[in-house]
Amino acid sequence: MEPKSKIRLTIDGNEVTADEGMTILEVAQQAGIHIPTLCHQPALSNWGGCRMCVVAVQGLPRLVASCVMPVREGMAVVTTNERIIKSRRTVLEFIFAERNHNCMFCPKSGDCELQQLAYDLQMDHMTVPQSFIPFSVDVTNDYMGIDHNRCILCGRCVRACAELAGNHVLAFQNRGPRSLVGFDLNETLKSSTCYGCGVCLQVCPTGAIFSRQHTHYAVKGHAKAWHAIDSHCPLCGLLCPTTMVVTDNTLLKVEGRLMAAGNRPDRGQLCARGRFEVLNDAGERLRHPLVRTANGRWTEASWENALDRVAEKMNVLRDTLGGQVLFGIASCEVSNEVLISFRDLLVKGWSAGTIDTFDGSHYRTVLAASRDLGHPLKEASWKQLPESDFVIVCGTDLSERQPLLMSLLRRNVLETGTRVAVIGPADIMASFRSFYFATGDDDLPAWVDILWNMAAQASEGALNAGVKPKRTGLPERKRYLRDLQKEVGMQAQTRKALAAMVSQYLASKQPLLIAGEALSSAQQPSALNNLAKLARLKDLDSGGRLMILKRDGNSAGAWKLGIAAENKPGPKKRLKAGLMLLDGESAADIAAWTGRSSPEFLAVISPYLHTNLLDKAQVLVPRPCWLEEEGTYTASDGNETAHVQKVLAAPGDIRNTWQTLLALAERTGGAAALKTLEQLTQKAAAELNLGIET
Amino acid sequence: MTKPKIATVWFEACSGCHMSFLDLDETLVDILSKVQLTVSPITDFKDYDFPEVDVGIVEGGIGNTEHKEIAEKLRKHCRILVAWGDCAVFGGINTLRNGIPKEEVLRYGFIETESTINGVMPIHKELPALLDKVLPLHEVVPVDVYLPGCPPSPEVIAYGLTEILEGRIPVLPADMIHFD
Repeated sequence: MEPKSKIRLTIDGNEVTADEGMTILEVAQQAGIHIPTLCHQPALSNWGGCRMCVVAVQGLPRLVASCVMPVREGMAVVTTNERIIKSRRTVLEFIFAERNHNCMFCPKSGDCELQQLAYDLQMDHMTVPQSFIPFSVDVTNDYMGIDHNRCILCGRCVRACAELAGNHVLAFQNRGPRSLVGFDLNETLKSSTCYGCGVCLQVCPTGAIFSRQHTHYAVKGHAKAWHAIDSHCPLCGLLCPTTMVVTDNTLLKVEGRLMAAGNRPDRGQLCARGRFEVLNDAGERLRHPLVRTANGRWTEASWENALDRVAEKMNVLRDTLGGQVLFGIASCEVSNEVLISFRDLLVKGWSAGTIDTFDGSHYRTVLAASRDLGHPLKEASWKQLPESDFVIVCGTDLSERQPLLMSLLRRNVLETGTRVAVIGPADIMASFRSFYFATGDDDLPAWVDILWNMAAQASEGALNAGVKPKRTGLPERKRYLRDLQKEVGMQAQTRKALAAMVSQYLASKQPLLIAGEALSSAQQPSALNNLAKLARLKDLDSGGRLMILKRDGNSAGAWKLGIAAENKPGPKKRLKAGLMLLDGESAADIAAWTGRSSPEFLAVISPYLHTNLLDKAQVLVPRPCWLEEEGTYTASDGNETAHVQKVLAAPGDIRNTWQTLLALAERTGGAAALKTLEQLTQKAAAELNLGIET
Repeated sequence: MTKPKIATVWFEACSGCHMSFLDLDETLVDILSKVQLTVSPITDFKDYDFPEVDVGIVEGGIGNTEHKEIAEKLRKHCRILVAWGDCAVFGGINTLRNGIPKEEVLRYGFIETESTINGVMPIHKELPALLDKVLPLHEVVPVDVYLPGCPPSPEVIAYGLTEILEGRIPVLPADMIHFD
């Protein structure tokens, strides 16, 4: 393609060049010339509604909105003069007068673009009387509220909900001075189809959409003391780029980096978990090392004493009974660095016979499915979603697991006509999907078996792809299929719909199958195996068509770094002592492990005090939570890692987890090879064979 | 040379602006040495037959007939009138009632609140009547100087008064304007 010729123009007398199609605002910003804006948000489409960005163009009788005015050759633009300032100030006064913009009782005062504009334009009073039409306030969501009295109708939230979240919940309703931003027309935040991702809150320039977690947090210039730290969210393995706003060791808010999303198809969104739940109190913290004395009481211990006690016990058992009686179980919500130090401590230091993760059973199901398949199971990446034209979501409630993927799906459906089929207990995306088949987790393997057999039957390509259907001979397979369908109680209508779905799947060009945790947690791997075979039917360009959702934030890292255990054949020794590395694991997770084995010695490294471990463990060692410790995490597709920054100081004298693990390694008799976090990061990157997203 | 005379009043407000004035610390001594404070909540002169003053300072929004009357009187007797704080400049927190009919506001405040027994509506010829809406000062009388803030910081107050004492009408620079 020929390079487009540059357009030349002047802004405030400065000669600048621009590309065809750029707006005056974009060119001015590129040249470092400030033009105030309000309804404009660079991550969203241009709107041109508020007239705050008006500029004068030589030859044009009226001022023009620079955010929507394309540049032309030879244009002479003036961004500031008396007339322009007067126009902006008048517009601003009208906005202020229209609704309740009294800052002193606004929860967002000090963190408000409207207020800042008033300051910048020296609006020290209003020359027009205020209107006092009362509007409602909606606080039906736990994390954010919407006060229509403070809304300026800039439409940023409406655009963000449509263009970023793909949800189209927000829309203007009513007319004239009674216009407002409604949720699904006259619904509330709670009763509407809003998923509460909070992107509207992030882009709202006033106090109309406000946080309920922190209010009045920016009054009287407090925002000057804020630190904004660019990081990533490690909670679900999508590693969304975030900006963490912190003051006085308190996390005030988490924002998605809308403009730094790079090659990410989600364009910098976050979900409610990453944006809001992060700010919640996660439970009682463990602040000092605790040890259980001979009489069974817990007492505070020094770090040295607590670590010595762990090391002595483990060393003795290793030297007397052998490492086979020792175990380590790790959370998959910790960084790659922590996982590596944990693994090296257990494997190299104590020759531990068992080392596993809390999601180990998922890993083993995936391994077994891969083995049954006869070739390595190639995983698709979530980044393939935007190119997919047919997506089957199987055995997961994405709205709980990875809501961001639903946003991508919704956008696909609306923008490119992608068809979505959902098989599972929850009819997620009820208004967006083409097919929904309700089934509980127990019947899921049978469903997938039906699906695969129907597809194999319908597809002549099955044999060509080199995958032999389970039963050969058509009549027999037909009978098998019929029995299965009877088993799950499938009606004729459902059979018909399923057949339609299968034929659409087979006709699609770029399908994607999403295997939820219900498939990988199934004890027998056949379900995942069948889905993999289904994916293989369409895996023509060998790009991988099966996406396997992981249970925890850094599951992919833990699996790739060899923390999750394979089922090794051979006799098992009774586990006598071990080390448990926790993050925010649920009581059920912990109980599932402690219920299986009751070792005589258990040491726990955890940020929180898990009370159900008090009668199981002998030593409790605190560690920072993920906000308090720097590290890298692996994306759930296993294709990249990203840095998660330390944004808060840990309470008390809590040491970094990797330092605690190294201190234990030094007590095993052999010195740890890696001494610094940097070395651990490099080791992890080398083992994972991945670059690091900063 | 006679010192410039100042009168201050507070209307529908919380007294925070006057508190902020007292918060000027040693600058207060400096300013008070240059002026003569006449009618003011600080001097506790409640005689609103104002002397002729150079500067009239108003805290609070105009919420009832008495506020309106005093504001008009003060305007007549002062050279420069200052709207002091968000309530005087914008109406402030008092405007929360502006979307509600005043009878409803009074009934709730004097009859229906949980802590009220045998409440009586404050309607009497001796009592000032509530206006339909709380108004900023400049919607009742012409204002010369606006010092917004809730309250205006001591720095803003010092800046405003110093400018006036030096014979200028102050206009707050952008970095001194605050509405909170």
